[in-house]
Amino acid sequence: MELFIIFISAALVNNFVLAYFLGICPFVGVSNKLSSAISMGMATTFVMVLTAIVSWLLYNLILIPYSLDFLQIPSFILVIAALVQFVEMVIKRVSQPLYRALGIFLPLITTNCAILGLALFGSMREYSFAENVVFGVGAGAGFTLALIIMAGIREELDLADVPKPFRGAPITLIVAGILALAFMGFAGMI
Amino acid sequence: MNKVTQMLLVLTSIGILAGGLLAMVSDWASPLIAANKKAETEAAIFRVQSEGKSYEKIKNAGFEVYKVMSENSLVIGYALVYEGNGFQGKIRLICGLTEDLEKIKSMEILEQVETPGLGTKVTEIPFTDQFKMLQTSPMVNMVKGVPPEDPNEIQAITGATISSKAVVEIINNGIAQMKKLRDAGGLK
Amino acid sequence: MKKQVSLSKEYLKGVWENNPILIQLLGLCPTLAVTVSAINGLAMGLAATFVLVMSSLLISSIRKIIPNQIRIASFIVIIATFVTVVDLVMKAKFPDLSKALGPFIPLIVVNCVILGRQEAFASKNNPGRAFLDAVGMGTGFTIALLVLGGIREIIGSRTFFGLQVLPDQYEPWLIMILPAGAFLTLGLLLGISNMYTDRKKRTEHESIIAHYKRVGREDIAEQLEVK
Repeated sequence: MELFIIFISAALVNNFVLAYFLGICPFVGVSNKLSSAISMGMATTFVMVLTAIVSWLLYNLILIPYSLDFLQIPSFILVIAALVQFVEMVIKRVSQPLYRALGIFLPLITTNCAILGLALFGSMREYSFAENVVFGVGAGAGFTLALIIMAGIREELDLADVPKPFRGAPITLIVAGILALAFMGFAGMI
Repeated sequence: MNKVTQMLLVLTSIGILAGGLLAMVSDWASPLIAANKKAETEAAIFRVQSEGKSYEKIKNAGFEVYKVMSENSLVIGYALVYEGNGFQGKIRLICGLTEDLEKIKSMEILEQVETPGLGTKVTEIPFTDQFKMLQTSPMVNMVKGVPPEDPNEIQAITGATISSKAVVEIINNGIAQMKKLRDAGGLK
Repeated sequence: MKKQVSLSKEYLKGVWENNPILIQLLGLCPTLAVTVSAINGLAMGLAATFVLVMSSLLISSIRKIIPNQIRIASFIVIIATFVTVVDLVMKAKFPDLSKALGPFIPLIVVNCVILGRQEAFASKNNPGRAFLDAVGMGTGFTIALLVLGGIREIIGSRTFFGLQVLPDQYEPWLIMILPAGAFLTLGLLLGISNMYTDRKKRTEHESIIAHYKRVGREDIAEQLEVK
């Protein structure tokens, strides 16, 4: 039950993009086409789950026992960078089609604050291992959902007559604001 | 080879210097951070137990609770820290209880992420003051829209019923745990 | 080449012309997340500026000994170190502010403004210029955060830096301090700043056309007008 609440909270109620503003850069940058939004969402979710696993192990098995928690930020960011590099290599070896679909998004993920945010939130809230993994899955699902909804809206928005100074980023942010309002409807579910 | 050695050398020395600097800063900061945290808890305990002069953490309770003593080190009550789910996330509160656990002396919200302007009203005086000298048995009750009548009733905030209810539930759960602990002899 | 840029311009470009938030759209996450009040915006801006200035100074001084292949990794380690310093100092000295900003101080590490300036500027210029560039970008970042935080605080909770500035009769617009308000305010602010830049460009364009008309080159003027 507790795990289910964590999932719903991360995916809907406290959506990483719309409530915590994590991962705004790819959200504004990649959300103009539905197909790339799906790929980006999937790649991010994948890295998020891996980060949740690795950062938990790193934090609870190394940093805390040796009271090195002041190294948390540098070690997390290095682990994430290494992880992304590793995932890229593995995907390249294992499946060429998958690499072509996700490959170009992977380097972007290192600087996606949603990933580091996930690792930091997880350690801050003192989640157990299972909780942290579920948190990672939920956050990834929420990120993908927000990205896909946004991409769907933006494909329609291209046909709309938006005042010239507001085209691009400004209107995207305004639409995101309206989406954030809509997502507030999920509050109270937990 | 030369290039690789240089790369390794530079990265290692950056790493060592960074680690050393952080260790130094952390040595200086961690006692201050710990002191801040302690002062914060202490202030909260004495706010909900205003006659308290000293306190002591009850160990092995399974949750955070403090025994609060008056000037002549007589136990005057407890300060209970408890948390639960609110409207959007965790609510954490501290509650001052009389020694027989029958009355709440005062209550304060420590952490919350409720909707600003609506749910956050649970942290404000008109709401928290309702808990002063509130009866806890059989349990705290909440009424909507009408002024409370019974000594164990409080009125929900209009527009923030779920947040108000969450606070009441957290308090009821916490007090139930306290009573269980008392019956098991854990409060001695 | 670059040497001709005057020192004052090196500083000023970050403040308006190349403002990291309003023009380059970098570092939006902390911008949106912490600006519920002016004080939060100011604190976040100053923290990020400190990290930016220190990293730029250090990286530009050791830029010649960092091998090209590992530059990004070195930048990240250096930035992460300064961020941890800021985080610890804030927790020790300003616990309330540190609580309000929460995980967004550690998240300065992945703020694209900071890594971007190292890659684009500090790793290619001397410490003096890198310092001016960093202070300029930091100022621009802080001003944008302060403006956004100020607007949201005044409209959303009728206070500015905690002091009440609007009368009690004014009912605060709650939406402004909700996440949605952050998106809406920044979107509108970007639109308005675009509008201003567009108008400036247009008047410049028109003055060029007028100039050609004056000197009797109607053909060039016509060509420009079509554009």
